[in-house]
Amino acid sequence: MTKAIKINNLNYNYNEDHTLFEDFNLSIEEGQWVALVGHNGSGKSTLAKLILGLMVANSGKICVFDEQLTTDTVYHVREQIGMVFQNPDNQFVGATVADDVAFGLENKQIPNKEMAKTIDEALAVVGMQDFKNREPHTLSGGQKQRVALASVLALKPKIIILDEATAMLDPDGRDTVMRTLKLLKAQFGSELTLITITHDMDEAALADRVVVINDGQLILDGEPEDVFKQTNLIHENGLELPFSAELVASLQHKPKHYLNERELIQWLSNLNK
Amino acid sequence: MNNIMIGRFIPGESFIHRLDPRTKMIATFVYIFVMLWADSWQTYLWAAIFIFASIKLTSQPLKLYWDGLKPIFCLILFTVVLQLLFTPGTPTLLKIGPLQITTTGVVNAVYVMIRFILIILMSTILTLTTPPTSIANAIESLLKPLKKIRVPVAELALMLSIALRFVPLLMDETQKIMNAQKSRGMSFSSGGPIKRAKAIIPLLIPLFIGALQRALDLANAMEVRGFKDAVQRTKYRVLKYNRVDYFAFGCLGVFTVIFIGIKLIS
Repeated sequence: MTKAIKINNLNYNYNEDHTLFEDFNLSIEEGQWVALVGHNGSGKSTLAKLILGLMVANSGKICVFDEQLTTDTVYHVREQIGMVFQNPDNQFVGATVADDVAFGLENKQIPNKEMAKTIDEALAVVGMQDFKNREPHTLSGGQKQRVALASVLALKPKIIILDEATAMLDPDGRDTVMRTLKLLKAQFGSELTLITITHDMDEAALADRVVVINDGQLILDGEPEDVFKQTNLIHENGLELPFSAELVASLQHKPKHYLNERELIQWLSNLNK
Repeated sequence: MNNIMIGRFIPGESFIHRLDPRTKMIATFVYIFVMLWADSWQTYLWAAIFIFASIKLTSQPLKLYWDGLKPIFCLILFTVVLQLLFTPGTPTLLKIGPLQITTTGVVNAVYVMIRFILIILMSTILTLTTPPTSIANAIESLLKPLKKIRVPVAELALMLSIALRFVPLLMDETQKIMNAQKSRGMSFSSGGPIKRAKAIIPLLIPLFIGALQRALDLANAMEVRGFKDAVQRTKYRVLKYNRVDYFAFGCLGVFTVIFIGIKLIS
């Protein structure tokens, strides 16, 4: 399998007193959905910015599809990665939905004639095609984030990073964004590598692989089921398990493996039988 | 909040709405320029007929134009009073110390008022029927010749359109900060001018910090989406003159010619 992202011996510090990453290693396979979790200040967003060349590491090697990130390759690397940020308002560049999706295409110097079709397609994927001419302040947070996702999709990246993309949304907005992500993964399958940075474990549970980091250290790495078994380790690192797993942990009789909320309800209602 | 919005755009499908934004901008500037030469009631009448015909063509209620005039009413009143009191001439109608009201003064005051109102109406037509982004696009397109003397037109236009896009957002934020401070006993509307000015400072600081944070985030988002500079880009919205625009230019030409004609005769 090709490695979508490979990080070797990464070192990064904010200033002399505060080292964040020290000999950090991580590799992500192509087509995987990886959830990067950690509490605030754990370094997860910084990691995303380092991968995109928005911040520069002190030393170490970051490769995206075997291409090493340097000042010369940074623009080419960015072409392959799309990123959705936390604040829905601060990443909306265009004056209307269509203009915003067009922004990336304009940068890529796509001919004017091809833009309209690409924009329509990208908006259709996230279900925002009816909002094409709306202005950002008339949209809800969830809708704005879906537009941000469409803006990224229009550029056809191989990797999409969502940096706390649902943190500022209400539960409904969060649901629609997560549903859109599931649809995306179903549609593009192994051609799309998805990295969701979050501290919401319910969100992380959707991924193929969960990576827990704290203070720039890799704490846990594995499938959600395995990671969620490490109750103590997760609590020690300032995180909470998904609600269902949290409930399981406080039960007398316990199910043998990770269940999501619906499965747990099923299991609980079977207890009395 | 909508009342303070300068240049409120109302979507529509009227003749004026369908014009290229450049056409509307050029027409506005030509009109303002022509108005500087108006000097008789005939010329003002003709200019007013042109404006009201244009307003009719926008299919918007007159109340919107009235709203456009209201905020600058004080300014109009101020100039009218100045004209009224300080125009020398004969015959003098009233004299109080150094101040005098003359017939010429009254006529001038009325003319200045009409001129003001007509010019404001013309620019209201532009802003009511043209979305801010189109205006930014039009400015970029019209200023293109300045690229030759190394004016960064593309950058300026992008800055303008981003600034316009953040206006409603920053207004919302201002309101939020004000509410937060009001809830803790701050008053923005009581006390003398100095006290009120002081009350603005704790409002401005969080607003500035918030705006800077937004700018940093936006810069990241733009870079990630492949932004290098404003020049090496294609355009999604391409401006193109159509038949309606040629027709509009024709009308503008006829208006100007008749205007000059009236001016020469009277």
